[in-house]
Amino acid sequence: MRIYLSLAAAALLPVSIFAAAPIVIRNAVVLTVTKGTIRNGSVLVRDGKIAEVGTNVNAPAGATVIDASGQYIMPGIIDCHSHIIAEAINEGTVSVSSMVGIGDVLNPEDIAIYRALAGGVTTANILHGSANSIGGKCVVVKMRWGKSASELLFEGAMPGIKFALGENPKRRGLTAPFGAAPSPTPARYPATRMGVESVIRGAFNDAKVYQAAWKEYEAKKRRGEIAIPPARDLKLEPLVEVLEGKRLVHAHCYRQDEILMLLHVADDYGFHIQTLQHVLEGYKVAKEIAAHGTGASTFSDWWAYKVEAYDAIPYNAALMMRKGVLVSLNSDDAELMRHLNTEAAKVMKYGDVTETEALSTITINPAKQLRIDNRVGSIEVGKDADLAIYDAHPLSTFAKVTKVLIDGQVYFDRDKDVAERPEKEKVKQMLITKAAEEKKKSAPQGAGRRPGQ
Amino acid sequence: MRAAALLLMAAGLAKAADNDSFLLKGATIHTMAGKDIVNGAILVRNGKIAGVGQDLNAPAGVKVIDASGMQVYPGMIDSGTTVGLTEISGVRETSDVRELGKFNPQLRASVAVNPESEHIPVTRANGITAVVALPDGLGLAGQASLIHLDGWTTDEMEVKRSAAMHLRMPTIGGTRQRGEGGGDSEDPASPSRLTFEQRRQAYEKEMLELNNFFEDAKRYAQAKKSGSPNFRADLKLEAMLPVITRTEPLLITAERERAIRDALQFAGKQNIRMILCDPKEAYKMLDEIKKSGVPVVLGPTLALPLTEDDFYDQPFTTPSQLYKAGIPFAFASFSNQFSRDLPYQAAAAVPFGLPKEEAMKAVTINAAQIWGVASQMGSIEEGKVADLMVTDGDPLEIQTHVKQVFIQGKSVNLDDKQKRLYEKYEKRQ
Amino acid sequence: MRIRLSAWCALPLLLQSAEGPQVFAIRNARIVPVSRAPIEKGTVVIRDGLIDAVGANIDPPADAWVIEGAGLTVYPGLIDALSTWGIPAAAPVRSSTTATPAAPAISGPEDRPSNTSYLKAADQIVATDRSIEAARDAGFTTAITFPTANIFAGHGAIFNLAGERPGGMIVSPSAGMYIAIRTGAPGIGSRTFPGSLMGVIAYIRQIYLDADHYKLANEIYATHPQGLQRPAYDRTLAAVLESPRILLPASRAVEVDRMVRFGQELKRSTLLYGGAEAWRSAELLRQAKTPVLVSLKWPERLPTADPEAPDSLRVLEMRDKAPSTPGVLAKAQVKFAFYSDGIANPKDVAKAVKKAIDAGLAQVDAVRAMTLSAAEIYNVADRLGSIDKGKIANLVVTEGDLFQDRTKVKYVFVDGAKYEPQPDSGSARKAVEGTQ
Repeated sequence: MRIYLSLAAAALLPVSIFAAAPIVIRNAVVLTVTKGTIRNGSVLVRDGKIAEVGTNVNAPAGATVIDASGQYIMPGIIDCHSHIIAEAINEGTVSVSSMVGIGDVLNPEDIAIYRALAGGVTTANILHGSANSIGGKCVVVKMRWGKSASELLFEGAMPGIKFALGENPKRRGLTAPFGAAPSPTPARYPATRMGVESVIRGAFNDAKVYQAAWKEYEAKKRRGEIAIPPARDLKLEPLVEVLEGKRLVHAHCYRQDEILMLLHVADDYGFHIQTLQHVLEGYKVAKEIAAHGTGASTFSDWWAYKVEAYDAIPYNAALMMRKGVLVSLNSDDAELMRHLNTEAAKVMKYGDVTETEALSTITINPAKQLRIDNRVGSIEVGKDADLAIYDAHPLSTFAKVTKVLIDGQVYFDRDKDVAERPEKEKVKQMLITKAAEEKKKSAPQGAGRRPGQ
Repeated sequence: MRAAALLLMAAGLAKAADNDSFLLKGATIHTMAGKDIVNGAILVRNGKIAGVGQDLNAPAGVKVIDASGMQVYPGMIDSGTTVGLTEISGVRETSDVRELGKFNPQLRASVAVNPESEHIPVTRANGITAVVALPDGLGLAGQASLIHLDGWTTDEMEVKRSAAMHLRMPTIGGTRQRGEGGGDSEDPASPSRLTFEQRRQAYEKEMLELNNFFEDAKRYAQAKKSGSPNFRADLKLEAMLPVITRTEPLLITAERERAIRDALQFAGKQNIRMILCDPKEAYKMLDEIKKSGVPVVLGPTLALPLTEDDFYDQPFTTPSQLYKAGIPFAFASFSNQFSRDLPYQAAAAVPFGLPKEEAMKAVTINAAQIWGVASQMGSIEEGKVADLMVTDGDPLEIQTHVKQVFIQGKSVNLDDKQKRLYEKYEKRQ
Repeated sequence: MRIRLSAWCALPLLLQSAEGPQVFAIRNARIVPVSRAPIEKGTVVIRDGLIDAVGANIDPPADAWVIEGAGLTVYPGLIDALSTWGIPAAAPVRSSTTATPAAPAISGPEDRPSNTSYLKAADQIVATDRSIEAARDAGFTTAITFPTANIFAGHGAIFNLAGERPGGMIVSPSAGMYIAIRTGAPGIGSRTFPGSLMGVIAYIRQIYLDADHYKLANEIYATHPQGLQRPAYDRTLAAVLESPRILLPASRAVEVDRMVRFGQELKRSTLLYGGAEAWRSAELLRQAKTPVLVSLKWPERLPTADPEAPDSLRVLEMRDKAPSTPGVLAKAQVKFAFYSDGIANPKDVAKAVKKAIDAGLAQVDAVRAMTLSAAEIYNVADRLGSIDKGKIANLVVTEGDLFQDRTKVKYVFVDGAKYEPQPDSGSARKAVEGTQ
């Protein structure tokens, strides 16, 4: 029996999102990221894909033409660490919460989606929080504002799971400081980094036992013996998927010792760490990270907000890159998500990387980390038409987003946003007035007992 | 032996004597007081700007710094930070920002600044030469101190120990987000459980207490002035005297429209000078603020809109709206780790309507004016203190490197913990 | 032949007869059977608690107590599709700040937190609970009451709103499994599993997997115990398996979308309760064939809200459009029924329904939502919910159309027993005791 849950497959097929007419974006500087920069270039978008890129692109009949003179087109930004759209972020009550999944609690009406779009983001890795050594399952989504929850899912993206090391998963293990009243709830193991390792090893131990139990059952069946199958365990199944290479591990971590710890654990149990998240001390063990083949997704210049962030340096990304690590920048924040383009510029300031290298940290690198680089992350023929158009070079603080396309459809248009403001305000005022009038007319409802009280 | 030591000492003294004197030439000088000077020079003597122009000569013994191809700006001023007050925000023991209680006018931030904080070298490495260390908390939180980011002790760092008195305006209802967990939402006394009416009453009570405190301060001032035999010195009320006599402004934090209006009315009623701090909804009442003549300290431009329906770019647009309405303003990071990003907060307003020069002024001369130190700093003019930054480009652009920073004429060490860790681990094989 | 027992009415100053009439005929009334077109002038005959005859040309039998129905309308008795009536209100849970006895540590779904799936509302109904009488006076004859105190709260019961002993009132003791999304526990908050919406959903999913496994394991073990590990006894799983359908909460469109898919994933017959924004998901509901229990407590701005802080456009639109949900569902042919959701005053229940009618729900669909649709949703339409021969004699007789401003309830029949609401106090004068 296949113990394999696929959230993406379980969703109903999305309504066709490729219905829009072809679009040609003309006269822009096209920052392809992987195939150089095209001055005075154009991009043809058809059936949701990039159909042509170059200086002479023919517009098919019926195509919408976007004149982007003086503007810059880059691949839509990919944020490798976000908690927007999720109506719950942490199941912090237990140390191993791999049975829960962010995919169950997506809210497609979260305004943060629209605001991220306005910041050039087209794809994001929505993660469980960092309250647990082993956290919940994660999903990759596109910022398809206006669509339903299942339509947000990035079709075919591998499912993920979140681990967390360091201070955050220990927090509920801490007993009250001297003199303070004891907490009403019992402390949750672990309270130390040693305990965090133990929790992870213990969980994978259990996963292997579970895996073996199923193999034994299947063997019995093949021999024609009567057997009761093991009860399915939603906590252990994602861990078995990790062991089988079917689920990507994204591990929140800070200090070099915990980074190394996790790499050793992964080696011992035979699984792979896909990305280290935050990894603010990654620069200290860049060699080991590169050797393991894991990617690093970090902040540009955050530091000193926790003890484990005290040795963080803004040169982290550049240094890791130079040592051969695949590095991306992420936001982990609905506000920072709106200006990842200028965060990428900071890697140039601290570390003197090239423009292309800087842009890579928010496009092709996170795409590779999420294994969706065959679809997104650069402007190449055949890839998804996920594009962000800026009125100045995106690495400049003076740039702003004018349009964003996803799957070849315009999902954000600044001019349209501004033009629609008066009407929206009118509608809102009308509803407020209407509600106030109705309230005057009707009597208050009785206060009986509602179900659940 | 002794002669050699004396000689060395003399040489050292001589060096120290012209440590804060130099002629910097060959750069484009952005004075923030009129036109830029191309291929200009700045003469600094004993920490002060002695001359600014195109053809200046170095007097004997004054070293020449060749800044060809560079840009020179006044050092930037962050109008509200926790630099030096908080080391690691997640660790209580390292933070000296928030005292207990609602009436703490007597507290002075500079007393709690740690001159050895790692945030100081990190922040000044990006051209910020002075910050306002800001105590925070409920009600009257204490006196904000303007300090240079250089000095062996806080005595040496202080520019203005009491730059302003910080008041957080009372508001109706909890403005702070609650933490996670159902625990406190089950608590019948938690703010979310109170009705609007109850919260309004709590607010009225706080306003009454605040007004009474100011009345007490006025009576104290009168008693002191009149030499009353019943006069007893009181630490807190003594601290109120400069505010009452309008020598020291009241920096009032008021985020939303109702609180902003309260703040303006309160200042009018109490007849005090005020600066409006972090008025996120200032854009809703530009005329009122303009009419009051009150200047504004703006928080980070890169912030989320307050409510779901607010325009996605409202926080980006607010600075340009203030500028167009003629309201003077400066920027504050309200942070330690993000103080070095101050110029990028200013820059973020430029694509949404704030002219570049105005963005730069809001972190230099406008800030100096608001804090009452415009005669000393904020622009590159003769007589002012030599707080300067030398860059290889526009400081509002992130890729620009800060090459040199001068505070009171002394070239400060741009090394910091982060650079040291970088160099250390770059060498690891 | 059933034995008729007489009983004493609890209210003072009322005439009792040891044996009242068991046969009624309401003559020359307008009859709305709901299952078919209205009869403008007809007669309904009740005998032994069941509908004996209904039609245009029926002569009342000789032994029938005749009620002149001119100017009156006869409807099937109203059904409250998700109720708290009949079960006395639980004592409020006090969250104590002093040390509470340590809750057993919950390490995950295996500890079955917040799970009383084995509780049956049928066991908790108190025949004399005041809510029963108050509901009846408003024209309700049936309530579908659920325990609601936990995530897996227990089995609902369909029962008629009159009787001496609860057992006799029950129409079905297992109407469905009530599932609530709730995190946290008193005094501990959300620090015990499940502490998040994700956790609750994962927990529900695990329970249903465990239940299916429980069934399979017990079947295999029963036929061949030798050599096999015996399955552990688990009353929560046994109870979950017993229930014919599950109820999941969904008010916002996002929740409706989520819960429809969740029900499909669990492979259980699913009802959604709440429904305020269901108008936005009508097509999805139709395709999934998921019925909706629509709360009559239309969302409103709290009177204690800050007058200077307007709600968002999204919330304003949700409130404005909520009463249009039933009309939209009706047009999309999505099955739905109404529930009172704690509205105590009978007038307000009717008012709430009228709001939906004003927002586009046809009168005939409104009546159906409170009668036959509810019966169909709970699979008791063969015995309840419309005026048809052989069905249980639950009727409400009104002056004026139901749900209009001046409607008056004249008589209510429950299991064939006649009740007359008092015009002012709303208390019933019971003419005859029901059967046992």
